[in-house]
Amino acid sequence: MMAAGSSHHDLDRFGIIFRASPRQADAMIVAGTVTQKMAPIVRRVYDQMPEPRYVIAMGSCACSGGVFRTYHTVQGCDEFLPVDVYVPGCPPRPEALLEGFISLQEKIMKEEMRWSRWR
Amino acid sequence: MEPLEIAKLVKEKYPDQVLEIKIHRGQVSILLKKDKILDICKWLHKAPDLDFKHLADLCGVDYFGKKDVRFEVVYNLYSITKRHAIRLRVQVPEEDCTIDSVTSIWIGADWHERECFDLFGIEFKGHPNLKRILLPEGWEGFPLRKDYPLDGGGKNWSGYDEIVEKSKELRKFDFYGSYEDPTKKTESVNDAAE
Repeated sequence: MMAAGSSHHDLDRFGIIFRASPRQADAMIVAGTVTQKMAPIVRRVYDQMPEPRYVIAMGSCACSGGVFRTYHTVQGCDEFLPVDVYVPGCPPRPEALLEGFISLQEKIMKEEMRWSRWR
Repeated sequence: MEPLEIAKLVKEKYPDQVLEIKIHRGQVSILLKKDKILDICKWLHKAPDLDFKHLADLCGVDYFGKKDVRFEVVYNLYSITKRHAIRLRVQVPEEDCTIDSVTSIWIGADWHERECFDLFGIEFKGHPNLKRILLPEGWEGFPLRKDYPLDGGGKNWSGYDEIVEKSKELRKFDFYGSYEDPTKKTESVNDAAE
């Protein structure tokens, strides 16, 4: 995610800018293993985001728990979050994350009944 | 001082406590009995030519099925003034899973010992506040023990099931009323809407 955001891959050219607060964010990237201890906090971050809001699960661990079939790991953050895009990989290449963002943008474009003036 | 010299000093001072002095890749570790660990640590801390004022780390090891004495507590000591280090490994049998706390010497051992108690179930006698540090309070079992089931017997953390329930409940406020891909007009969306 840092590599995708910095100059070589540069998320800014897609109009994707990191915000310091969930209250200003449109999308949330779950980047990494979610433990059951951390799950309530991740859920709270999601709840603080204004609508429309989207979630990207980045990496094998966030998608499915990855190799951690253990007592403390959430088996995919879709257990408690509505995930829009899954980006697999351990870790995903920056290109994979860009692809995830483009897929999300395409998905949002298709949601015309939800956010268009015909709503 | 060289670590091997320190190990020899410990052996001279406590000959009946030292079981083995082992060198692995240039690092010296002393295998000790647990009876006088507090005395040994006090002496290492106080002795002017040793001066181990810094407890770099304290952790537990489970040698389940590999060694006769199941647990070991490892102390990594470092002297800031003398710039030498030593490792103490203390045997803790499963039947009597207790050891003296060293919090009276190094206050920093407090959380290390709590973590060790939390994950291995080794009880530190004389610890001021020995309770779980990482796991929730009502947790059963000690997860870093080798005979602990990997998925913890299928039991979730306190608070986690509530989060899953809450998120299921909040689904009905979603625009599509489900977690299914909204761009796909499938039957499952309709099922969830019903």
